[in-house]
Amino acid sequence: MLVGMSREADVSAHPEEPGAPASTPQDLLERVAAGGQAAFSELYDQFAPRVFGLVKRLLRDHSQSEEVTQEVFLEIWQTATRFDAEKGAAVSWILTMAHRRSVDRVRSSQSSRDRDVRIGIRDHHPDYDHVSETIEIRLEHERVEKAMCRLTELQRQAVSLAYYGGYSHSEVATMLSLPIGTVKTRLRDGMIRLRDEMGVAS
Amino acid sequence: MTSRNDDLAAQSGAYALNTLTEEERAAFEAYLAESDEIRTETTELSDTAAVLGMAIDPVTPPPALKANLMAMIAHTPQLPREVETVDDAATTSATVTPLADAAILWTEPSAESHTAQQSAQTSASPAETKAQARWFARPATALAAVAAAVALIVAGGVVADSIGRTSLQETSFVAQQADQLASINAASDSQRLVSTVAGGATATFMWSGQLGASVVIVDGLEQLPAHQVYELWYIDSAGARPAGLMYASENGTTWRVLEGEMAPGDGVGVTIEPEGGSDTPTTEPIVVFESA
Repeated sequence: MLVGMSREADVSAHPEEPGAPASTPQDLLERVAAGGQAAFSELYDQFAPRVFGLVKRLLRDHSQSEEVTQEVFLEIWQTATRFDAEKGAAVSWILTMAHRRSVDRVRSSQSSRDRDVRIGIRDHHPDYDHVSETIEIRLEHERVEKAMCRLTELQRQAVSLAYYGGYSHSEVATMLSLPIGTVKTRLRDGMIRLRDEMGVAS
Repeated sequence: MTSRNDDLAAQSGAYALNTLTEEERAAFEAYLAESDEIRTETTELSDTAAVLGMAIDPVTPPPALKANLMAMIAHTPQLPREVETVDDAATTSATVTPLADAAILWTEPSAESHTAQQSAQTSASPAETKAQARWFARPATALAAVAAAVALIVAGGVVADSIGRTSLQETSFVAQQADQLASINAASDSQRLVSTVAGGATATFMWSGQLGASVVIVDGLEQLPAHQVYELWYIDSAGARPAGLMYASENGTTWRVLEGEMAPGDGVGVTIEPEGGSDTPTTEPIVVFESA
């Protein structure tokens, strides 16, 4: 009979440091990867509003958004061991996971989406109108908005529909009446332009 | 660079924005391993996408969500750090922690060929030996003991191993199954039963009434000839409903999340069926669990 290591043993092998001040997301992820539940709690506090905001933006439905947010954090817990800081920032890792999970959920409830695609483009840019309470978020808004203005109309529409609408490339192609290949190209050159405008490089 | 690779390279933006289908996503990820240049570009574009995400207004989720999660993670295994070799993964995946001291064997009724099994088992009730004809019509037979859902299978190892070995298309199925396994495992009402199958394999049945979902995990399940397959069944008073097919893994642990919804009190059985499966069981079960 095979005997596994108990979780208690795991945790005691990696004692947590509850007092560690102002941890970066990367530090927190590393402690989560070692089984740190306090670190997970701190990571949640830092990112839950970000994740929930993003998920809700894509799913709209409140209870589904809660479910997906829960899935995202459970996945963070389970896969923190695979996070590699050399392959990207912790923030990106978390938001990418949240976006992907949301998109997967959207696509699994396809019927209402088909109608959206037929009716056409809805409003798919971030909520610039809602003046946010923190300077940090306002700066992010401005940064993105400014960069978005540098895109061509098609690039901007394609990127917005894809990211903020959660549409697949074939849906975007339908909505913009473009061949799929063209959509892929616009998504790539649009994202490259955004990267350069916003100074994102690894 | 081939034109196929050019096609793939052009998908970095689509990938970073999650607009690809699962198949395309998997193909692109396989391609990423081959090209440093595209990998760097893709990382940068994913980071760029994350900045788009940072421009969305944060919304504070209800406090219950955190309370739930903290309870869930306390019972949810984490993936092992790296899957370095197949051997490592296999070792991890075999790390199942059997909980029930009181595991009771399924009583094979016409059992001349199962002497060893019989000698190891606890006694069968008289009721058990009565209704052999339609075992699935009487889920109260062949009991296994309920064990508290305290310790856990090392689900991560199973997942990593399966993903490392399967084709791209199977990977998404496996990943989906692994998600479900993790949710069942993490559910606050998760329960499990452990039993022994003919041939000495250890079978664990784990379920969550809240999720209406269950999983069967067998350690050391025998390989079947190609024309046969293991079939899972949900069993209630009306009979047995097919709940998916299962193929013995080559490396120790076989598991399968059952198809369809589990109703409260449903039992679960596993039979050997002809290739492709059957609509109703055609053989006696190799193991039966009763959840009620």
